[in-house]
Amino acid sequence: MIKDNKNFYNLYKFSITILFFVFLLCILNFQKSLSFFSMFEISTPSLISIVIYLCIVRFNVNPSNMILFFTGFLHDIMIGNNLGTTSIFLLLFKYFTENMILEKINKKNQEEWIYFTIIFIFSFGIVFLFNLIISFSLIELSPIFFHIGITLILYPIIKTSINFFSFVFRLIKS
Amino acid sequence: MVSGKPSNLKSFKSNKNFNFILILLCLTLVFLGKLDLIAIRNIKAFLSDFLAPVTFALNKPVKEIAGVFEDVKSAGSLREENIRLKSEVRKLKVINSKASSQELELLELRQLLKVLPERKNKIITGRAITAPGGIFANTVLINAGEDYGIKVGQPAISSLGLVGYVVNVSLKTSRILLLIDINSMIPVYLTNSNWPAVVQGQSGNLLKIKFLSSKAEPIDGEVVQTSGHGGRLPSGINVGKIVKSFSGKFYVKPIVDFHRLTFISIITNKTFQPLSLKTFDGFAPLQKPESSINLKGLNLSGKRVIESPED
Repeated sequence: MIKDNKNFYNLYKFSITILFFVFLLCILNFQKSLSFFSMFEISTPSLISIVIYLCIVRFNVNPSNMILFFTGFLHDIMIGNNLGTTSIFLLLFKYFTENMILEKINKKNQEEWIYFTIIFIFSFGIVFLFNLIISFSLIELSPIFFHIGITLILYPIIKTSINFFSFVFRLIKS
Repeated sequence: MVSGKPSNLKSFKSNKNFNFILILLCLTLVFLGKLDLIAIRNIKAFLSDFLAPVTFALNKPVKEIAGVFEDVKSAGSLREENIRLKSEVRKLKVINSKASSQELELLELRQLLKVLPERKNKIITGRAITAPGGIFANTVLINAGEDYGIKVGQPAISSLGLVGYVVNVSLKTSRILLLIDINSMIPVYLTNSNWPAVVQGQSGNLLKIKFLSSKAEPIDGEVVQTSGHGGRLPSGINVGKIVKSFSGKFYVKPIVDFHRLTFISIITNKTFQPLSLKTFDGFAPLQKPESSINLKGLNLSGKRVIESPED
């Protein structure tokens, strides 16, 4: 009876969306607060891109453009960034990920990391160039390289951890 | 909404168009933000005020964990730290005894030369509620805003030196643009040679020196302080030290560790206070000048007189 109720379904969908939005916002905040650790003093990894990529590629959860837009918008306000910069990055990242998946549906599992690298560098590069244009000066490159490097290193680690936990979970279940 | 994998190409194409529209909207937002419109500034201020508790709550656990890690890390070097601190205390005691004797002398000389009295600054201290750093923005939010008299442009300092200046104020919070941000430019001078310059952030650890005369010869380790040019920042606040790169270029290394900021003070509107021995609150207790000491000059009849501080 409840399943047939359209309002209930809409409410359910809406709450899932809100929860996902809050989840992404928490990830972005966590990513920013990592700079309290001396290891990430130079720059923090882009955890949000790893999460979005894994959501789309692995868990078949496709975050809507509006969620990404508002998450980026609020994050920019929280950290005092130029309004819209994070949103552009997230939207570009989602666009490239979706594009790659549609083009390479028969992708191999091993190629995932390479695709992530290409997509991340491409979307970050565009945002970086855009920032370069609007600020009229070149920023120090070491934090940029650290940001890219640490994100690319963290991707396989997070993926392997997820695989390991799901394996343990399945083992306990069986 | 959160949906499954794009099943058909048609929905993906419509999604793609929407994606482009949103990207265009973001680009518009960036340019509007750069125009620094009052409406946008107000919206930003309101939202950062609204989101401040959320940010603080989300940052707090990570900050605590990072603190624990730092404590564990520093526990190993406690002995060396203790020895270093003891020697530093000894040095500071010597400096302090010299400073207290020179302070009174300085005050007397200031009166003798009729130097304009310094204005007393009012300082408001707030707690940093966000982490600094970021790739394209280096700002910190503090939990003191308009209701404490903080205004845009006022300098922010820590116990070590200049942190940055206020760029956005809302009722309960203020945003501080750190020295290392690419948009930050501070007029400074080199304390040894007195050459003025401007330091600009690079979103990294070092500050670029701009507009320094070609005749200037900076020394590695030379202290750089705010010059007060432009009247926006007070003079004499420590900014950092000169460092020489491998390429021979000079940079300024900020004296403040931006990743360890907990409390930040804002120098708010100055309240005028005439200089007098009674109201002067220096760092060392001042002696009252004895009437028998006549060092201030001569009057018309050739007799030595003590000028009252109010003159």
